[in-house]
Amino acid sequence: MIRLQNISFDHCIKCTVCTVYCPVARATHHFPGPKQSGPDTERLRIKSPELLDESLKYCTNCKRCEIACPSNVKIADIIQSSKWRYFKKSLRPRDFFLAHTDLMGSVATRASLLVNFFIKLPPVKLFLDLFFRIPSERRFPKYARGSFLAWYKKHRAEQEAFAERAVYFPGCYVNYNNHELGKDVVTVLNAMNIGVIVSYEKCCGVPLIANGYIDRARKNALLNINSLAASAAESGARIISASSSCSFALKHEYRNLLELDNSAIFDSLDYITRFIHERFLKGNLPELKPVRLRAAYHSPCHLERMGGVMNTIEVLKKIPGLDLTILHSECCGIAGTYGFKKEYYRVSQKVGAELFKRIERADPQIVITDCETCKWQIEMSTPYRVEHPVTVLARSIDGGKL
Amino acid sequence: MRRIETEAIVIGGGATGAGTLRDLSLRGVRAVLIEKSDIASGTTGRNHGLLHSGARYAVNDLESARECISENRILKKIARHCIEDTGGLFVTLPEDDPSYHGKLIEHCRYAGIRCEEIGVREALRMEPNLNPEILSALRVPDGTIDPFRLTSANVLDAQERGASVFTHTEVEEILRDGDRAAGVRCRDRLTGEKIEIYAGIIVNASGVWGQRLSASAGIELRMFPSKGSMLIIDYRINNKVVNRCRVPSDGDIIVPGDTVSLIGTTSKKVDYDRIDEITVDDDEIATLLESGEKLIPSVSRARVLRAYCGVRPLIAVSGEMDGREISRGIVLIDHEKRDAVGGLITIAGGKLMTYRLMAEMAADLACAKLKAGKKCRTHRTPLPGSERRVDQARSVKFFTGIPNSVVGSTLYRHGHRIRNILHREKRNYGLICECEMVTEGEIEYALKKLNVRDIVDLRRRTRIGMGPCQGQLCAYRAAGLFVKYDSATSDESNKMLVDFLEERWKGIKPVLWGDALREVEFGYWIYQGLFGLGDVRFEEEAEKR
Amino acid sequence: MRYDCVIIGGGLSGLTCGIRLAETGASVAVISTGMSALHFSSGSIDLFGYNGEGRTVYRPFEFLDEFVGSNPRHPYALCGARQVREALFYFRGQLDLEGIELYNNDESNHFHVTTLGTLKPTFFSQRSVFNEKIRLAFEKKSMIAALNFEGYRDFYPELAVINLRRNVLFRNIEIITGKIVYPDYGDPQRNPFEYRSVDIARIFDTERYLEELAVQIRNAASGAAFAAMPAFLGISNFKRHHKLLQELTGLLIYEIPTLPPSILGMRIDNALKSRFASLGGVYIAGDTVTGGSISGERLESVVTENGGGSALSAGSFVLATGSFFSGGLVSEFSRVREPVLDLKVYSDAERSRWYAPEFFPRRGHPFLEYGVETDERLNPKTGDGRRVKNLYCTGALLPYYNPIKEGSGGGVAVSTGYRAAELILEGNS
Repeated sequence: MIRLQNISFDHCIKCTVCTVYCPVARATHHFPGPKQSGPDTERLRIKSPELLDESLKYCTNCKRCEIACPSNVKIADIIQSSKWRYFKKSLRPRDFFLAHTDLMGSVATRASLLVNFFIKLPPVKLFLDLFFRIPSERRFPKYARGSFLAWYKKHRAEQEAFAERAVYFPGCYVNYNNHELGKDVVTVLNAMNIGVIVSYEKCCGVPLIANGYIDRARKNALLNINSLAASAAESGARIISASSSCSFALKHEYRNLLELDNSAIFDSLDYITRFIHERFLKGNLPELKPVRLRAAYHSPCHLERMGGVMNTIEVLKKIPGLDLTILHSECCGIAGTYGFKKEYYRVSQKVGAELFKRIERADPQIVITDCETCKWQIEMSTPYRVEHPVTVLARSIDGGKL
Repeated sequence: MRRIETEAIVIGGGATGAGTLRDLSLRGVRAVLIEKSDIASGTTGRNHGLLHSGARYAVNDLESARECISENRILKKIARHCIEDTGGLFVTLPEDDPSYHGKLIEHCRYAGIRCEEIGVREALRMEPNLNPEILSALRVPDGTIDPFRLTSANVLDAQERGASVFTHTEVEEILRDGDRAAGVRCRDRLTGEKIEIYAGIIVNASGVWGQRLSASAGIELRMFPSKGSMLIIDYRINNKVVNRCRVPSDGDIIVPGDTVSLIGTTSKKVDYDRIDEITVDDDEIATLLESGEKLIPSVSRARVLRAYCGVRPLIAVSGEMDGREISRGIVLIDHEKRDAVGGLITIAGGKLMTYRLMAEMAADLACAKLKAGKKCRTHRTPLPGSERRVDQARSVKFFTGIPNSVVGSTLYRHGHRIRNILHREKRNYGLICECEMVTEGEIEYALKKLNVRDIVDLRRRTRIGMGPCQGQLCAYRAAGLFVKYDSATSDESNKMLVDFLEERWKGIKPVLWGDALREVEFGYWIYQGLFGLGDVRFEEEAEKR
Repeated sequence: MRYDCVIIGGGLSGLTCGIRLAETGASVAVISTGMSALHFSSGSIDLFGYNGEGRTVYRPFEFLDEFVGSNPRHPYALCGARQVREALFYFRGQLDLEGIELYNNDESNHFHVTTLGTLKPTFFSQRSVFNEKIRLAFEKKSMIAALNFEGYRDFYPELAVINLRRNVLFRNIEIITGKIVYPDYGDPQRNPFEYRSVDIARIFDTERYLEELAVQIRNAASGAAFAAMPAFLGISNFKRHHKLLQELTGLLIYEIPTLPPSILGMRIDNALKSRFASLGGVYIAGDTVTGGSISGERLESVVTENGGGSALSAGSFVLATGSFFSGGLVSEFSRVREPVLDLKVYSDAERSRWYAPEFFPRRGHPFLEYGVETDERLNPKTGDGRRVKNLYCTGALLPYYNPIKEGSGGGVAVSTGYRAAELILEGNS
């Protein structure tokens, strides 16, 4: 049945430029490209859902087509929404586990040592490969012990004492896997005399959307919008996230893809480097110690889509001693949970191949990127360690080793 | 000069002419069809493609309503691949006279049309984009019918049964042999070749153009052309035919036609001398948009792809020429009786819905005069493509490796004949028209089997260039394929590319704003800025003339 | 966020302007909604191809000297003939720094061959379209082979050859057609009948198939001096591939621009972006400027779709948003408007006068001549008549010229972009 919310396909004038810039279409011809999978066939799906092509599942939702589109067609949104509008619900346990990151996280963090140990064992990998179609080549991020929220609770009082505060949405990765990044956010903002109010209800919804759990994603989104808006209203603060994909979801996917009203948080929500950069420009620049490091910066797709890359670059440029190479903007291929699926694994690696080559050519000591899944992909596919820009900044502030 | 002898000549390749050709062929009568342009290029191809249940006519014209519902049932059987059984709604807006609703139910009962009242909420569930303020809704067995496919299928069937077809061939004169019409002299408009064809009976099925034709045989026939204009919306905004429940008026109907929706129609008298140059007026566009928005508000946000118009062929009966006795029904004239000219009959009036019935009537009379031919079988013999119902899911499975969108679109257009078109060789399913999923294989099939002589014809058989871009990428590709498949010389291909783009332009320019204008700027840039097509001089063409 | 200059629109005009400004050390941001019209261009830079009667202009600068006097509202007149020349050669110099060599026929136009075998007068072309060797070989009336990949759906040499043969310039030149076959790409899923120019360009870019293709090209060309092919000799490393392929085949390899996307145009787009970035320019892609705040005679700041509440402010602004196609102008049922600041637009109130009755009119379509009206300093007026003195309008957004009829699109984009930069620099000093 026709639902005509997203009719941006109507603006497509068939110039085909999106297909030129699609990293998946370049890597595999199983995918006919964003124009055909998006606006072209959306007209047909409206006529009859039977005209749905399986091939659109190859879309990684990197949004590079939307950046390229001169007609403002929300191409990736059209393709993503087709996945849940027209396909039958996936009943794969794998997709369920990959999609429900917060559920998995809260279980796994209780026995993180055990989980981290088991998930690396070859028989377990083989089992996952055979029965769950999770490629055995894929490395999983390690789970942390306990949650970031638990750590934060102990420090809440001191954070609330700051005159200026920011509401921080840590996301699943910081909460369950990488507490250190969350602590780095606190270090950096505190050095700028800003307190951190953590507000975290639920997973932002990115993996849920990608796996077709749309109702769940909408529920999460509403909870997040309400809780973030409430926290921000209370302290008159801005909302920040240090995950490019979480911020992208909160700001754009909620609005364009889930078709929810997120105006309560839209204007006050920033990806962290934008927030920091703006304050740097206003003169709130903490004392920075030299880091003496050769680094290569990779810009994640969703940060590109938000137009936030220049903020990260500007912030990094402020760090003394950081010898920075900006890598040509390219998709790393992992696309969240996409690269965890056996059927897409090869495509995922092929998409990233060009980036991996460029990293090797640059031969940095570390790679810097804003996105946790890009980090996993690059660390798995190249010999280089990957850090978040905020982590690098935090080390420049506290003088710690990188 | 070529000379051909046959049993029957049918003039006019609209639905009626094509239907008559098929009817005669099914009865075993050898027949030739002559069409001055392309099949279904006149009135037939210029309506909104509504498979009437008859409800639209029930209140005013019970006889037409009865014809419609009876033909509706037949067509659903014999032409299923040209038809989508969408169902239709009659909705009453707050500003409409509420009493029409009851009248319609009553008259549908008289005509034998199933017409049931449904709740407003149910109507909105069926058709979510409908104006939520409607007061009431009726459900009727309306559907959609593709006039191009229907006509082409009739022609194809006739050809497979031995009939011959001359498109782009104009009858210059009806040849008389004493008090009889003995044949026609015609000219191929593309090659200039002259052809004389002789037959025992000539059926004039040239619709509104019949007045001119008859005059060449010294017979007076009086047409009262009335223009109807329509708009095409870029995509489907409705799934069922949506009618406004009131006395028929402008902009009352929105029909989902294949991948698009159509808003129709207006009604304006035109001078007979101007029937070949009618265009859609700005006030008609405004009226159609305004009325369309009242039925489905999202009309205002959608891109209008084209505006087009057709001429209704209303004819004066019984020789009276003052126009008082105009018939909206079917008119069959035996010129032997009326004008003392033997060998010639005219079938006119009627509507697309009743083309088969009209063909049956004409063929009955023709056979009576020829003293040949069997009984009519067109009401139970399915058209090519409709022989069997073909299941989409099974076709998709059968053509593994070819995208569903391609298989489904080909199936929708060609029904059971999909197996003559698609096969797994990659060349065959390479996409040429990316908006409407027309493959190289479908184009090859059309070029070889469906009387295609230029890209405009190809469009009517395949939908190439009918999507949002109106032929930007595919027109050039199609021109190239004409050469590749030996259907035209390079020079002819270049020329038909110009003609095609000019033909598309006719329908676009009345609606040139918003995205349509952007699309045109892009297309013009490609074909003039990049290709310099407007600078090509067709010398050979000039020499021929 | 504050910059010295914010340029709205990242196409040929905006980037030329941005490069010129960034070169002086100014902080410049370019905001672009999507990829620019360069992706659909011929990849040559037209200056002035046809005069008012539709006759070919052979010496465009000489022509301009007179033309600007009698057409004072034309964008070239706003720049002045001298600065048009300055701009074009500046542009060539900038592309040269990025490894794209542009060739001109001294002061004269040269022709490039189109997909349909018509000839277009243009001023700058890439090496594979015009250079001294090509000119000499052409003058010697050397044989030409128009080649295509078997099954490539976006090019049909037969349609071009018939028109070329009829052209007096090609009289006594033998033109043949030939086919080459895609190399085995090792991907059984690929449907080569759906390749676009960019797919083939990427095959060339891998370089793995160059030798195999060279053999095929040589055979198919059967003795011709030129092998003319649709333009897909790679995007990133075109210069090297072109050289290698010429060496391997011993032929002059000539590129013909195809249906979009245009590989030739993408090379220029890449080069301009790369040059801009290397000068420290900030390119914000995929964002749309939705409005701005004007106080007095100055545009203070603009807001974007992605920017949320925060505005971009700057000392000066350039509006290089293109024509209807790129969204610089928006047409509605009965009016044409400028969507960012609702600036005063030159158009016709009567929609039926926006276009010509034919699709290929002799006199061109009027809507192509619509745009934002400016004074001689490229400053526009707001809807209520206020002049905006720190806002400069450039490129296809400008009215009173017809890029297609005149064959002047590229030249106007480059020279008005350059002109705006010069005006901004002048104002600053």
